Amino acid sequence: MNAAPALLLKAALLLKAAVLKQLATCLVLQLSALGIPLTLPSPALAQDLNPPSQGGGAPASDPSSREQASSEQLEFFEKQVRPLLVEHCYECHSGASAKLQAGLRLDYRDGFLSGGDSGPSIVPGDAQASLFVDAIRYQSYEMPPKGKLDEAAIEVFVQWINSGAVWPDEPLPDLAAPASAFDIDERTAAHWAWRPIARVTPPAVEQTGWPSSPIDHFILHGLEAAGLSPAEPIDRQGLIRRLFFDLVGVPPTAEQVDAFLADTSPMALERLVDSLLQLPQFGERWGRHWLDLVRYAESRGHEFDNDADNAFQYRDYVIRGLNADVPYDHWVTEHLAGDLLSEPRLNPQEGFNESVLGTGFWFLGEWVHSPVDIRKDEADRFDNMIDVMSKAFLGVTVACARCHDHKFDAISTADYYALSGFLQSSDYRQVRFDTAEQNRQIADQLAQLDQTYRRQIGAFLADHPLASSAAASSALQLTSFAAPKADAAKELHDLHNPGVLVDFEHLAAEDFLPDGHLFGSAPRRPGELFLTATDDGPRLSVATHHAAVSDPFWHGLVSHHGPGVQLHSRLRSLPMSGRTLRTPTVLLQHGQVACQVRGGGHVVACVDSHRLVAGPLHGETIVRFAPSDDWQWVNLNLDRYVGHRLHLEFVPDEEAALEVALITQGASPEQRAKLLQRQQERAQAAEQMAAWIEQVWADPAPASNPLRQLVAQWADARDLLRQQVRAESRLAMAMSDGSGEDDHVLIRGNAAQPGPLVPRRFLSAIDGDRPLSINTRSGRLELAARINDSANPLTHRVIVNRIWHYLLGRGIVATTDDFGVLGQMPTHPELLDHLAERFLQDGRSIKRMIRYIVLSKTYQMSSQVDAEALQHDPKNLLWHHRPPKRLEGEAIRDALLVVSGRLDAAMLGPSVPIHLTSFMEGRGRPPHSGPLDGDGRRSIYIAVRRNFLSPFMLAFDTPVPFSTMGRRNVSNVPAQALILMNDPFVVERARQWAERVLAIPAEELLRSRDPALAGRADAQEIAAARISAMYRSAFARPPQPAELAAALDYVLAPPAAVADRATPADSPARWTDLAHALINTKEFIFLR
Amino acid sequence: MSIHSPYRHAHFPTVPLSRREMLSRCASGFGAVALAALHSDAAFSANNTEDITGGAAGHGPHHTPRAKRIIFLYMDGGPSQVDTFDPKPMLDRYNGKDPGELFKVEATQFNNNGKVLASPWKFKQYGQSGIPVSDLFPHVSQHVDELAVIRSMVSEFPEHTFANYFLHTGSGLQGRPSMGAWVNYGLGSESQDLPGFVVINGGLIPPGGLDCFGSGFLPASYQGSVFKPSGTAVANIQRTEATSQQQASKLSLMRRLDALALPQYGSHDSLDSAIRNYELAYQMQMAVPELMSLSEETQATQSMYGMDSSYEPTRIYAAQCLLARRLVERGVRFVELTCPNVGADRWDQHSNLHAGHQNNARAVDQPISALLSDLRQRGLLDETLVVWAGEFGRTPFAQGANGRDHNPFGFTVWMAGGGVRPGTIYGATDHWGYKAIENRTEIHDLHATMLHLLGVDHTRSTYRFGGRDMRLTDVKGHVIRDVIA
Repeated sequence: MNAAPALLLKAALLLKAAVLKQLATCLVLQLSALGIPLTLPSPALAQDLNPPSQGGGAPASDPSSREQASSEQLEFFEKQVRPLLVEHCYECHSGASAKLQAGLRLDYRDGFLSGGDSGPSIVPGDAQASLFVDAIRYQSYEMPPKGKLDEAAIEVFVQWINSGAVWPDEPLPDLAAPASAFDIDERTAAHWAWRPIARVTPPAVEQTGWPSSPIDHFILHGLEAAGLSPAEPIDRQGLIRRLFFDLVGVPPTAEQVDAFLADTSPMALERLVDSLLQLPQFGERWGRHWLDLVRYAESRGHEFDNDADNAFQYRDYVIRGLNADVPYDHWVTEHLAGDLLSEPRLNPQEGFNESVLGTGFWFLGEWVHSPVDIRKDEADRFDNMIDVMSKAFLGVTVACARCHDHKFDAISTADYYALSGFLQSSDYRQVRFDTAEQNRQIADQLAQLDQTYRRQIGAFLADHPLASSAAASSALQLTSFAAPKADAAKELHDLHNPGVLVDFEHLAAEDFLPDGHLFGSAPRRPGELFLTATDDGPRLSVATHHAAVSDPFWHGLVSHHGPGVQLHSRLRSLPMSGRTLRTPTVLLQHGQVACQVRGGGHVVACVDSHRLVAGPLHGETIVRFAPSDDWQWVNLNLDRYVGHRLHLEFVPDEEAALEVALITQGASPEQRAKLLQRQQERAQAAEQMAAWIEQVWADPAPASNPLRQLVAQWADARDLLRQQVRAESRLAMAMSDGSGEDDHVLIRGNAAQPGPLVPRRFLSAIDGDRPLSINTRSGRLELAARINDSANPLTHRVIVNRIWHYLLGRGIVATTDDFGVLGQMPTHPELLDHLAERFLQDGRSIKRMIRYIVLSKTYQMSSQVDAEALQHDPKNLLWHHRPPKRLEGEAIRDALLVVSGRLDAAMLGPSVPIHLTSFMEGRGRPPHSGPLDGDGRRSIYIAVRRNFLSPFMLAFDTPVPFSTMGRRNVSNVPAQALILMNDPFVVERARQWAERVLAIPAEELLRSRDPALAGRADAQEIAAARISAMYRSAFARPPQPAELAAALDYVLAPPAAVADRATPADSPARWTDLAHALINTKEFIFLR
Repeated sequence: MSIHSPYRHAHFPTVPLSRREMLSRCASGFGAVALAALHSDAAFSANNTEDITGGAAGHGPHHTPRAKRIIFLYMDGGPSQVDTFDPKPMLDRYNGKDPGELFKVEATQFNNNGKVLASPWKFKQYGQSGIPVSDLFPHVSQHVDELAVIRSMVSEFPEHTFANYFLHTGSGLQGRPSMGAWVNYGLGSESQDLPGFVVINGGLIPPGGLDCFGSGFLPASYQGSVFKPSGTAVANIQRTEATSQQQASKLSLMRRLDALALPQYGSHDSLDSAIRNYELAYQMQMAVPELMSLSEETQATQSMYGMDSSYEPTRIYAAQCLLARRLVERGVRFVELTCPNVGADRWDQHSNLHAGHQNNARAVDQPISALLSDLRQRGLLDETLVVWAGEFGRTPFAQGANGRDHNPFGFTVWMAGGGVRPGTIYGATDHWGYKAIENRTEIHDLHATMLHLLGVDHTRSTYRFGGRDMRLTDVKGHVIRDVIA
């Protein structure tokens, strides 16, 4: 290096980053002076680009010569520049700012040079390169925000910067930072939600006879204070219908209603509630609530609506888990870190790992194929994951702090990236959940078994008479199973650094991250003994290389995907699950990556956690290599991803062997040859040993050779164990740990502008900003523990409030997903704390909390409104009555299936494809339409494809799955009426309902003769009984006399008498009309 | 999206309104009475007038509107700016040269960048304004004196789906409310019997799907309703009964049973509104067939639009444009047209630029021209804002041999009618037509300007969701004053 560049580099270290760009320019000039060619536009082009008529600006003066600042320059600053700064900038960017924005001070020169959050503001002498100029031109930021400066003002700044940004020599302004607008302690103290859950005694009330539960004390106390009374209790018919829909999502049958009405015991209600909570339909009803929170969908949306593979397994997990009433803390832990539990929850019937399925919720979001900016794509995915996690479990909007400290809540940008680190440390996979637990135990036994036999064989060999030879003893040293010698290791390490990306010899134990057991529990070392199958039976072999090696013990694994619809991802066809070797995550510094492998399979570069490889970009991240018995270098061209974080995954072909030794980046063929040569030298010892073992093997006679006997026993023991391997498994999306790492703050949320690292931790408003103490890689288990901590004021308030919302129709905090400053205050804060406290004391059981609430008088109020109460409290904030509740789309559709007898009560399993109408068009349209009636399955089992959502559900406000939606909209649109009037699905149900009612034999109808109908003609009486059956099955009540009369008149009036009914009286068509009319009454879609 | 369900209407917000507010809005507009919320949900009270920061449905105009409604001509796929409205002679001069030697080439969607590619079409100047248009648009070029051509648009995304969501909703991600939903949320609809946001689907639903027209976190009532330009137009609009008498009889039974059953609920606005809903649905059932009878139009009008064109995609788009006029005549606030299928692809010519752009232009040119003439002739153009835009432009260099890749760094959109300064060119791209360099205009700015022309201050039209007061323009957007008359 000659003196000039050396000097330049030294200067670069000393000077602030603001001037780096200029230096780079100088460097380029230096290089060209040294004869290094630079690509410059041709002279003709230069002329085209800068026609003489446009003129050129004044040449830049030397920026560093502040001493030479002329009086004209200073005058220019004072007269032109400073007034503009004062007028347009200092409100937000000076010592006088009430709140300094973006950490940027513009009231002294170094403030410009060092800049704010986004780095240096100006490059003196180069306005074009100055962020400040971009900002005032509205080309990056848009400053000042109140309105763009006029061209003349912009030109003043350009001129000032181009002429060196001269500033007078003046005392620095007060540099004490202005009061920070973001004071997390102040905010935490000021807002109710951060305060600890209080232990509350239910208040005393005057009407002591009313309450049946502490809940009622809180409600009644509020009403009495306002001089109001609670509404009357609802009648028992209304109550059973309410309970059925609220708890299991379908109407009661006529028989269920009759049984409840006949049970006059004081325990009748409790018995009903308990039996409903035990019904498997409970999980289907409450499971749908939960799916709203985790933006459940089975496709990825975006352009081609690719499959979210096996998402339905998560849906089934939710249904089963709610039915099993998994304690809520365990539920949270399973969602956050179910893959990391040492003792996962096993399915009681089938024994599979339930816990790991919970982590699927992280991955239910939108995914993008071929993102041009792959890092930004990751940042957006993480944003959604953090958003959903924080809203669903904590009721706070952490994602609002992605670009800046939260505008209102005690949540900082650092909080956001502290959580983002947990995602950077984690990974996606399709887990073999059926076999995971059993095979893990087998893998443990296998490791034990291998170790035992290696020891025995090693001991035998050491005692062997032949071991005294020099060759044998040096070989034996190799099998002594001691760790490799440190100095040898270092030697090799130095040789290949820095070109080595991953070296399986020097891999830390926590960096060995296989999916499944195919590659054992650690890479193999030279000298390690293993078995090889030959035609003559098992033979003993000696490893020659440090490498991760697939073990044929695990051959024959079969993984079953659910049915696919849009299978464009090129990764999906690779047999990855349970058979993948994953490297640690690394920063790619050179795009030419080479992997030293033996065997055949695929290598996949997973860049910025992008997993949907489909479409034009990113195909180069997947490389196949044909099976080979020799070591080979497999090359990946990853030039596009230099500077990105990635890891590699190796997937052997099915039933093929694969060894992976070394991965280099930017290493020349010569360097790589040298690496191989060194490995070869080191392999010699192992080869010697193999030769010596060959001698022992051959001596004396095969039958009595103890080595052969040991090897045969070893092989037999392995075979025996292998018979217990469960080969076949279904797959589900799940999280797994990657390399533990923290994330950078991204300045203004911009993925291209990383800021400082933030250690992983929980919200600082609750936990302070100390890093979380993390025992293993990602730390998600530790995070789950913080979320579940009983002292955490959010988690338990949030879940009991959700339960309250689903039962009563409005949360105590109405904004169920936002307990922040912009959310609503609780109407009954003490009741909320009472419920949260009780939940904590009562085993965090969702079912018991539901039971507790529905058995209160408060839940059982009628919907009749008292005029005075309405006037006093029109929004019903004090809860003086229960407003009618419009049923959700799912409940309406399910009720249609129930009354028409079309319901297929089968639970769980792959979704029924969505029925496609001619209005549901666009890219990614499923190739086949599902059945109009969804095979009669409950709505929760109909496929949720992001770009092809059910029009029926959307009209009735089923949310678009993009974020947590704990409180659905309840809108009133004519589409709802049109669907119920004209949708073929509904019309078909009406016809079926009529058929069903007409199929009831007359004797049966007359057997339960209604005394009120006595004396009517038979035909009329039978018709009346049919009508009564319809009312009881749809509305849980018999018709009132006037209703019965109207219905009878409709079905029985002769056509001659009523011109608008052309069909014969009492015909199926008439009954279909009646059924259709009942479906269209408001009672069908409203609960009272 | 259930866009196909037609009757989401601007006038059915879930925000609670006082009876007085409700009645004050009943004076006009379809569904006004159904304004009542289904239940009085305190969670949305921040969106009520109590809290000015939270925003409110039907907040009405903030200033005098210049336009009452918008027709959005969505040019799906990204038409090439340098082949339509932004001539670049430099491309002719450097045709076939390596673009990397001339300027910095950004990452592209297909990463298959070829040589600088001159436009295969000739440009001519038209009208008094002399705005140049390529030969792709022989009809639209006759209207340049009505247009404000913005040549300096930029988007944040080079992929269709992101860019589509961004253009439609102001965010690159799925699940945000579309422009038409925002406009109806803010202003309500003036239509007596049609939804306020109608998408006429010519055949191509944009990448990203129907969610481009969704209501996001706004109530379902604001969702776009997808109409087809022929047949019954709307899903579930046809009665299933054999005769209207039979339907009326059934509905009358329903009303009678409702009246008998509802006293057990007590008196609630939510139930009243749900009942009223059926009357609205019934009105629509009548209105849509009337809307769809394009044969009522004179032969001259039909021919002007291209209903008798020999090219089927032109006939489809002609029906869409004619329908758009009929919809705005009936007070529909926001009408969007998607492109017909020309057999190759939307304006997304990664290869075969010439044939693809020619066909796409042929489909829309005459109908758009007729729409502008027709609106002008009927005195509707001054109060109707017409916006022509794709989600991004295309590269000035080739993809492969004869295509162009996506280019979000500089592209052209135009506006006409309602309050737009006619005969204007605003902004400029660089010598290559590659990147906007003068008056760089963001999608947020386009949205801000569209809302401004409707009388809406984009910073004050907000809706609280997920702990934020959301806007169509996020935290950005500036009204482009220079394109306003």
